[in-house]
Amino acid sequence: MHSSPPVATYVKVWAALIVLLALTLGSSFVPLHSVNLAINLAIACAKAALVAVFFMRLRRSDALTRLAAAAALLWILILITLGLADVLTRV
Amino acid sequence: MSAAVSSMSYLGAGYSLRSWFTTRDHKRIAILYAVSITVFFFMGGTAASLIRLELLSPHGTLVTAETYNKLFTAHGVIMVWFFLIPSIPATLGNFLVPLMIGAHDLAFPRLNLLSWYLYIFGALFTLAALIAGGVDTGWTFYAPFSTMFSTSYVVATVTGVFIVGFSSILTGLNFIVTVHRLRTPGLGFFQLPLFVWAIYATSLILVLATPVLAMTLVLVAAERLFGIGIFDPALGGDPLLFQHLFWFYSHPAVYIMILPAMGVVSEVVTCFARKPVFGYHMMAYAIVAIASIGFLVWGHHMFVSGQSMYAGMTFSLLSYLVAIPSAIKVFNWTATLYKGSISFAAPMLYALGFILLFMLGGLTGLFLASLALDVHLTDTYFVIAHFHYIMVGGSVMAYFAGIHFWWPKITGRMYSERWAQFAAVVIFVGFNVTFFPQYILGIEGMPRRYHDYPSEFQVLHVFSSAGAAILALGYLLPFVYLAWSLRFGSPAGPNPWNARGLEWQTASPPPQENFPTKPDIPARPYDYAPEPAAAPS
Amino acid sequence: MSASSTSAVMSVPRKSSVAEFGMWVFLVSEMLFFSVLFFGYLVTRLHHPLGFATASRHTDVVIGSVNTAVLLTSSLMMALAGRSAAAGARRSATRLLAATAVFGMIFLALKGLEYAHDAQHQLVPWRDFSLAFEPDAAGARLFFWLYFIMTGAHAVHLLIGISLVLFVMVGVARVRHAIHVELIEVTGLYWHLVDIVWIFLYPLLYLVSRS
Repeated sequence: MHSSPPVATYVKVWAALIVLLALTLGSSFVPLHSVNLAINLAIACAKAALVAVFFMRLRRSDALTRLAAAAALLWILILITLGLADVLTRV
Repeated sequence: MSAAVSSMSYLGAGYSLRSWFTTRDHKRIAILYAVSITVFFFMGGTAASLIRLELLSPHGTLVTAETYNKLFTAHGVIMVWFFLIPSIPATLGNFLVPLMIGAHDLAFPRLNLLSWYLYIFGALFTLAALIAGGVDTGWTFYAPFSTMFSTSYVVATVTGVFIVGFSSILTGLNFIVTVHRLRTPGLGFFQLPLFVWAIYATSLILVLATPVLAMTLVLVAAERLFGIGIFDPALGGDPLLFQHLFWFYSHPAVYIMILPAMGVVSEVVTCFARKPVFGYHMMAYAIVAIASIGFLVWGHHMFVSGQSMYAGMTFSLLSYLVAIPSAIKVFNWTATLYKGSISFAAPMLYALGFILLFMLGGLTGLFLASLALDVHLTDTYFVIAHFHYIMVGGSVMAYFAGIHFWWPKITGRMYSERWAQFAAVVIFVGFNVTFFPQYILGIEGMPRRYHDYPSEFQVLHVFSSAGAAILALGYLLPFVYLAWSLRFGSPAGPNPWNARGLEWQTASPPPQENFPTKPDIPARPYDYAPEPAAAPS
Repeated sequence: MSASSTSAVMSVPRKSSVAEFGMWVFLVSEMLFFSVLFFGYLVTRLHHPLGFATASRHTDVVIGSVNTAVLLTSSLMMALAGRSAAAGARRSATRLLAATAVFGMIFLALKGLEYAHDAQHQLVPWRDFSLAFEPDAAGARLFFWLYFIMTGAHAVHLLIGISLVLFVMVGVARVRHAIHVELIEVTGLYWHLVDIVWIFLYPLLYLVSRS
């Protein structure tokens, strides 16, 4: 049985998540127009990564499990990218 | 009790209905599926028969236009979701994958049973909708007709398909975990039969694509019930959004329907040519390539929909790309046959039929992938001929090949080889007479989903309907002689074909736990040497 | 295991159990399930940037933000529960599971309150939609339909998650240690995915145009 990370690690991750939440909320009140969306999405990705890597323990999972997670992301990207290839290039 | 069914075999482990409906044995679940999909095959076939009867004459005589729409919708919905998609994976896949990897069962046996119950529940739901009055949208449920104008039972039907979708997802999940985790020690991925590779790749598609269909159908129901407008241009929505979401699933779905068939063909061709498959590694990579690239081509169903020209070009190019691994497989099967010691038992007749008909269907796919040609051919009978060549000439023939090849293993009985060969030929002839004229009809401009047509098309339609009668007869024959064999067929030994593969190292039918003694792992798959297969009785 | 070898142990990837791998595969399907809504949102927002901006300003950013914090905290509880279970600390695990479920229920309660407010302010795009006379009212309508469908689908999944947590907490108190740990692990994976879905829903629904 592998030993788990200490409680402190989990709490630090949680703290980081709350900070990121404050950041995303706070930055939304600064008028940066389209940059706001980029910031918010980037922060969301960071939060999701923290949850996946630490809370879902992807950090210490085997290659196959990580591959499964990566595949889901890639396939969602395929839907969005090729789908937008139509929507964004209509005349 | 007959000699073929010992009390130790999985068939003998309990005779009550309860023992079947609460089983966790992958082999029994396979049979539950087999019986179910056969019932649906005949239902879908009945719809097709009515369609072909109606099309004998140019101006609607048998059914009204509305009924005709409901008939082709029923045919499509039943054949795609209740027959083809579960066919090879849930019957042959369920039965054989654990055997082929030397395991006792799938990774999650109870989940497997749940998959079957979800299938039945969803199928009954849809049947209820069909009996209550049917659906007239086509199996493709295009918005805005399905969401705004159809007065048929759309919500009930999509609910049924939604439920069946979860059956698919759980089955795919089960196979993926099983192939990764339950292989007997010493059996690496590149020692697996190509049938296992095929089921594995199919399972990846099941898990990745089906959820997209499920949520899309939820949106269709929401649009229809609440008028949310996401697909309705008058309310600011986008009808192409529906098509993108629908085809993101439905194109990979056709690979769900063909990959397992390709797996079966590799097993049968090697056995009846007494040769290892040519280019095993390329065959495995081709399977994975088809599954992956298959997700990148869905827009080729939308070339004339109003999709952007640039997206069209992209999807066209990618569609040509996906043909390459399929072509590799056809070349490799042919190379496997070359200088093989070929015999023509029924499974091999079906497999050879597959190779030819799949190739023809696949080539016509390339015509459709060409943007300019597709403008003329889309929504015509050319498309119908194309996909029936692949789905029926390909998948269904491979399913029959598999059923015959593994019949002795599953039931412990041999079927009548002469009747089987006869049926295979009747099916091959009937199939081509039915569907080849449809290519010509399509090129000449006959649209699909029309029951009323200009009289100059009648001759070809009559040919096609005559072919359908022959095909129907051909399909009825196995039903008869296979059933007959259950009672009167000669008992089969563990390996009547002298085939390779772990499933042939246990009794026919196998004991409940599959392998009472540990099977021998061959150094490489398809370890055939040029000696003849056992002579069929 | 000695302290000096702990870091070596932690750097070796643990092979996931069959159940854990199975749950990951299921989560892949769940991600693709939600991706439809995100893609639909994306396309609709591209067609209606103004309507989305207007409508998003009418979402309750206070409840939305508090709920995000609630869910993130529930994930901490869940992760710690898994940790306690692995260490054999059953009572600690049970308490942490209870905390997880409580936070989940707080989320749902706040969400229910929010829905009630939305209905009161006529933000449900039925008749008397309060944004019906805004420029790009069509976009505003579509935004709120998507809001209800996406948060609704999320809430259904959260409810399933809470049920799983309660089941693991109460129904399996007497099973063998290894199975208990495994069950908590896979429940945790599901829970965290539901959290991740909300992590993306939050900015897309609440923070479109706050400045």
